[in-house]
Amino acid sequence: MNSYQKETLLLKMVRILLIWISILTVLIPFIWVILSSFKSPSDLSDATNVFFTPILNNWTNVFNSGIPINFINSFIVAFITILISLIVGLPAAYSISKFKTGGNFTKLGILIAEVVPSATLVVPIFLASYFLGINGSILPVIFAHLTFILPIITWFLIGFFDAVPNSLEEQALIDGCTRFGAFIKIIIPQVLPGVGAASIFGFVLSWNDMFYALILGGKDTQTLPMAIAGYNTFRGVQLGEMSVAILVSAIPTIILSFFIQKRLIKMMGGGAIKE
Amino acid sequence: MSKSNSPSLTNDSVSIYKWKLLFPLILILFVILVFPLGYSLWLAFHDFSIIDPDSNKFVGNAQFQKVLTNPMYWTVMKNTFLFVLIAVSFEVILGVLIALALSKQRILKNFTRAVILAPMFVTPIAVGLMFRFILNNQLGFIPAFLAKFNISIDFFGSNYTLLTLALIDVWQWTPFIILMILSGLESLPQDPFEAAYVEGASKLTVFLTITLPLLKPVLLVAILIRSLDALKVFEYVYAITKGGPGTSTETLQFYIHKLGFGYYRLSEAAAVSWTVVVIIMIGLIIMLKSPKKEST
Repeated sequence: MNSYQKETLLLKMVRILLIWISILTVLIPFIWVILSSFKSPSDLSDATNVFFTPILNNWTNVFNSGIPINFINSFIVAFITILISLIVGLPAAYSISKFKTGGNFTKLGILIAEVVPSATLVVPIFLASYFLGINGSILPVIFAHLTFILPIITWFLIGFFDAVPNSLEEQALIDGCTRFGAFIKIIIPQVLPGVGAASIFGFVLSWNDMFYALILGGKDTQTLPMAIAGYNTFRGVQLGEMSVAILVSAIPTIILSFFIQKRLIKMMGGGAIKE
Repeated sequence: MSKSNSPSLTNDSVSIYKWKLLFPLILILFVILVFPLGYSLWLAFHDFSIIDPDSNKFVGNAQFQKVLTNPMYWTVMKNTFLFVLIAVSFEVILGVLIALALSKQRILKNFTRAVILAPMFVTPIAVGLMFRFILNNQLGFIPAFLAKFNISIDFFGSNYTLLTLALIDVWQWTPFIILMILSGLESLPQDPFEAAYVEGASKLTVFLTITLPLLKPVLLVAILIRSLDALKVFEYVYAITKGGPGTSTETLQFYIHKLGFGYYRLSEAAAVSWTVVVIIMIGLIIMLKSPKKEST
């Protein structure tokens, strides 16, 4: 630490206090929901009770319901969305980064694509899938998720490609690689860690969406957020199960987030500072 | 793409190659964005009924007139902007303070950050239900806890509901501002700070005259992204209030959902959504213009 970064004792105490308050504000709701997920209906009516006999009924009930299927649906939707985003986004981002294809216009187009409101897109996507007879399947949900995930993934990828030195590709071309061969074999491995982080970020965005899934999805293709919303009946019996459902949806994304947080801090900075 | 390509970036095959790489993206963006936008605009100027899709007729700006003369629309606008204003203001102030605190943290740095950033990765519907449960008057722990000090707040009574929803947004999305500011802080140049130290400037002076101006671009982008996102608040309303009590928490996204998929007034829903597009475009222009002026 440099000398100019020294802080006074008072400032240090305020800082530590602020961090502790933040940690507790985040953790207490989760801890309470975890506790509630092990409570019987009668224990649930005593909100501040932390000494109770834990039961597993809520967890077994939820896992014997449709939740595992919803879990798989969410996974499939997110996975296909990311796959398409990468197949389309990688070459496009490379082209924009290296050849400045289309100039600022392309970059601006990607940014504008990112801010188009979902409320404007949902009505036409709903009608188009209705007329095509694919409403209620996962297809319109994947289309809709692409509208906001494809632009942001491409945006991140441009940043990663910017950091790859030109000399690498030139060397490969001299060695007799085709341009596309060099792109696949030499350039893409250079950006893989970034691709991983961007994919996880996109995966979380798709996993967490409810607005599109609610309107475009069907009964058989419900994703996890829809299933959780289904526990929205405030009868005491269901609150334990609702707590389980909340945790089942939240835990995977929180775990995934741990892997990408450090990189995300870099990704966000790169994007914003280029503005 | 023949093997005889020279490494030079300016030959003819490259000018085709680069467009080939970009083409799939342009095609997909056209299908999933340009076409829906055009269709939506078409709907907004027609009287479309899903029961009888062929009987649609061009009605000019009648849908927009209907929308703009409906007092409900203005209630919805007021609620939404109040929500965005409250939520984003708290998020920015708290986010900057917490990010500054975290940037000095050395012990358990990664663990602390992981915990504090966690809420932004949870699906909003789960957050909505969680807080509906936690703040519930009979079953929630916060009212039960407050009751021990004889404090009674009806978090979902008509006076506080919109504020409660905004504070839930603050819980979930302050981490986003923290993330952006942390990333901004990590890429700050060190020289101005050393210079200020040599000149003996106070902490507050350094923060106000060096840190904050340097963070301004990141902060503006963060506020922009967060405002656009808060404008689309839906899950909390859907999970907790369904627009009530009365119309106090009817927000744009929920209103459009109700118009379009509750009443199937799809043309009217499209018209409302286009007023949102116009607002977003105006907001974007204002925000993207302001920092540019300074740099020129």
